Amino acid sequence: MQRKWEAALLAVTLALNSAYAGAEEDFIFWLFNFSRTKGVKPVTDKQYQDECSGCHFAYQPGLLPAKSWEALLTPDALRKHFGVNAELDDATLKVIHDYAVDNAADKSWYKRSRKIAVATTDGPTPLRITELRYISRKHNDIPEKMVKGNKGVKSLSFCDKCHTQAAQGVYDVDTASIPNYSNWDN
Amino acid sequence: MKCRIEFRNTIAGIFLAALSGMVYADDSVNLDLPTAASFYTHNSQSLKSLSFNSPVYLLAANEADVIQGQADITLPATEFHPPWISGRKTHQYLGLGTVVLAGLTVLAAPGEGCDNCTTASQQQPRQTSGTTHTRLARATAAMAIATVMTGLVVHWNDIHWEDSFFDPDKMHARLAAAGALLMLYAVNASAHSTVPVNHSGIAELGAAAMVVAIKMTW
Repeated sequence: MQRKWEAALLAVTLALNSAYAGAEEDFIFWLFNFSRTKGVKPVTDKQYQDECSGCHFAYQPGLLPAKSWEALLTPDALRKHFGVNAELDDATLKVIHDYAVDNAADKSWYKRSRKIAVATTDGPTPLRITELRYISRKHNDIPEKMVKGNKGVKSLSFCDKCHTQAAQGVYDVDTASIPNYSNWDN
Repeated sequence: MKCRIEFRNTIAGIFLAALSGMVYADDSVNLDLPTAASFYTHNSQSLKSLSFNSPVYLLAANEADVIQGQADITLPATEFHPPWISGRKTHQYLGLGTVVLAGLTVLAAPGEGCDNCTTASQQQPRQTSGTTHTRLARATAAMAIATVMTGLVVHWNDIHWEDSFFDPDKMHARLAAAGALLMLYAVNASAHSTVPVNHSGIAELGAAAMVVAIKMTW
């Protein structure tokens, strides 16, 4: 019995110590990281945060695969960024582009990012988060009056209107609250 | 006999808890039920800064017909607190509980025998119930099944046929279900055998599958 206790204690100690060994978000780090990585990785780059949130919610790079960010973050694409001119100077664009591509869904170990990455490996490059099959399926059962017809939301694009912890990369149903519909889940 | 009744009560309690989780599904349990007084205080505070002509004031005053046609009305936002218990959280707690119980079951396992054991003790009939190990093992298997069932109920729309085989939620479901079945098989195989059967490997494999399943979506 004592041997088993010792083995269990050793395993726990090794696991806890290994967590410190992983400096980057690689497989080993994910394996021994006990903090929750269920959503997507929160935005950690201040310039990305500031530039994007100037116009809209700063979507985490983990919500789209790298090929999508490659397509979205070019000078030409930004001049017609969903109908709006969102041009950036070359230096800023490079920082934002590199950050988005480095932290894209297919390079992240966060669960929701992995789910998006696996679902977008094949097929056309998605350009809108709301058009991802997984995202649209998750919002299918929400009546239009709660989104488009709701002055507090207006569009699925405004993630943070309902997902109260969207900025932290948490998109759980438990943390969602639709403005003007407090009992939406009933 | 007393121990057996207690064990049955424990199992019944676990199943009741699991069933309660299914009943609540996504609904949060709000234990801080509002009173009429709390509503009054809250509304009066939120209206202090508003004029009598404000649409929000009029809406709060239950004069909805007066403000018909005015488009930009949003009710005053209240601070949102995620529920401390929900269908999803019940599933999460059951899964973690299963792993903890599985660990305790391993620790409570009887020794594998020794060279110095007396012949008399070796010839004692094998105990397939009543020991701490067997109780914990059965509780683990029951909790594992409850975890899988609550998962199917609360996360049914996270799994879809059109998703890839390697979808994290699909892998989680497959591994957890396999783990629960392996543990159930190990308990069953051991309980119905009068001679020692090597069931620990299967049970530990099941527990490992549960751990990996949890980690995949943690």
